[in-house]
Amino acid sequence: MYKVAISGLNNTDNPAPGIPVAKSLKDDCSLIGLSYDTNEPGNYQNMVEKVYLMPYPSLGFDELRNRLEYLKEKENITSIIPNLDAELPLYIKYQNEINNMGIRLCLPSNENFELRNKNRLDKLSQSLNITYPKTYEISSISELEKIIDDENLEFPIMVKGNYYKAYKAENLESAKESFNKISVEWGFPILIQKVVFGEEINLVGVGDGKGELKGAVAIKKLTTTDIGKIWTGITIQNEKLMQIAKNFVKLTSWKGPFELECMVNMQNIYMIEINPRFPAWVYFATDIGINLPKMVVDIMYEKDIEPQLIYPSNKMYVRVVDEFVTDFTDFIKLLSTKEL
Amino acid sequence: MNVNAASGMGQMTQMQIINQLILDENNMAFHPMMGNSYQLNGIGKEVINLLKQYKTKNEILEQLSNEYNISKDELFIDISDFISKLKIYGLYN
Repeated sequence: MYKVAISGLNNTDNPAPGIPVAKSLKDDCSLIGLSYDTNEPGNYQNMVEKVYLMPYPSLGFDELRNRLEYLKEKENITSIIPNLDAELPLYIKYQNEINNMGIRLCLPSNENFELRNKNRLDKLSQSLNITYPKTYEISSISELEKIIDDENLEFPIMVKGNYYKAYKAENLESAKESFNKISVEWGFPILIQKVVFGEEINLVGVGDGKGELKGAVAIKKLTTTDIGKIWTGITIQNEKLMQIAKNFVKLTSWKGPFELECMVNMQNIYMIEINPRFPAWVYFATDIGINLPKMVVDIMYEKDIEPQLIYPSNKMYVRVVDEFVTDFTDFIKLLSTKEL
Repeated sequence: MNVNAASGMGQMTQMQIINQLILDENNMAFHPMMGNSYQLNGIGKEVINLLKQYKTKNEILEQLSNEYNISKDELFIDISDFISKLKIYGLYN
């Protein structure tokens, strides 16, 4: 049985994909959890055999390598599925070094990772023949004011970080506030984007690194939380979106999981974002017969897999609140020894 | 009757879009490409079924007028309004 380490155990109201990935793999793999905080609920859900605290990605690769060497020796993990935006740049940049440690990964190349950065998504969207909302890159408040004047931009506009965070601004004051909030937390550049009116649709998929889309499921979010996380959703059969996913994987030879976020209206379909990881709703796909995390494991271990792109319509995803009681000694143990 | 690359529907025609609507016994119409559901009444469901059979508005008026023994003039506003709504929702052109 493969020993797979999984990160993203933060199973809160802003859920990470780790626990859904673990649920998808628990029957086929031996699982180790990689956590960044003793408060992550997934540490205590007994979905993984052991949990290890990891160094924050901001500490750099040396710290990560030391921890992975320890994990390799202690648990003999043979592969990792990193599920968090903040850690992906390190895993992607140093994937050869990690492979050389005897740990398999299924990740896109650094070049592909950067290709889907929000400030480059217009070029990629052009190549995929899909519209990308007009976007301006800025680094100061004066540039923000200038672009709004020069381009006659009408509010509302989207103010986005290059990597994370996006706010809708209804006026200049609120745009400045969003600019400051994002730049303090995530740095520059800041992207100013015309708002696209329509309905959001999403697709989760896995590319094999050779240009073939191995599995995908498209959904529409029916209800979301205040921070936009899916609460209920439904499978959709959107040929255009599926074709975009196939073209994206073929064009880039994308390896590993990805999520397409698009908006559709009566005029067009717009690319909004490509996430280089599973979304937290990935278990929706697993439960309707498309086990994408399992595909990632199979790709890592070079197994032949048949594409799975057909799934039932009208399946509804429902997220629920759950609770359980555990021993506080587990919390203390994880805090003091960094393992549980 | 070509549709724009609109609504993620590619080169599909509006007639095909209405043909994709799944109608159930509770008069719900489900659009599988967008994940949208619409609550209809019995007549609305019947009109969609007739549009799926490529009937024109006049043919639909004729058929419903005979079926329910109501004048075509009386039906005209309701049916036109319903078809307009289908257009607004991008389900028919």
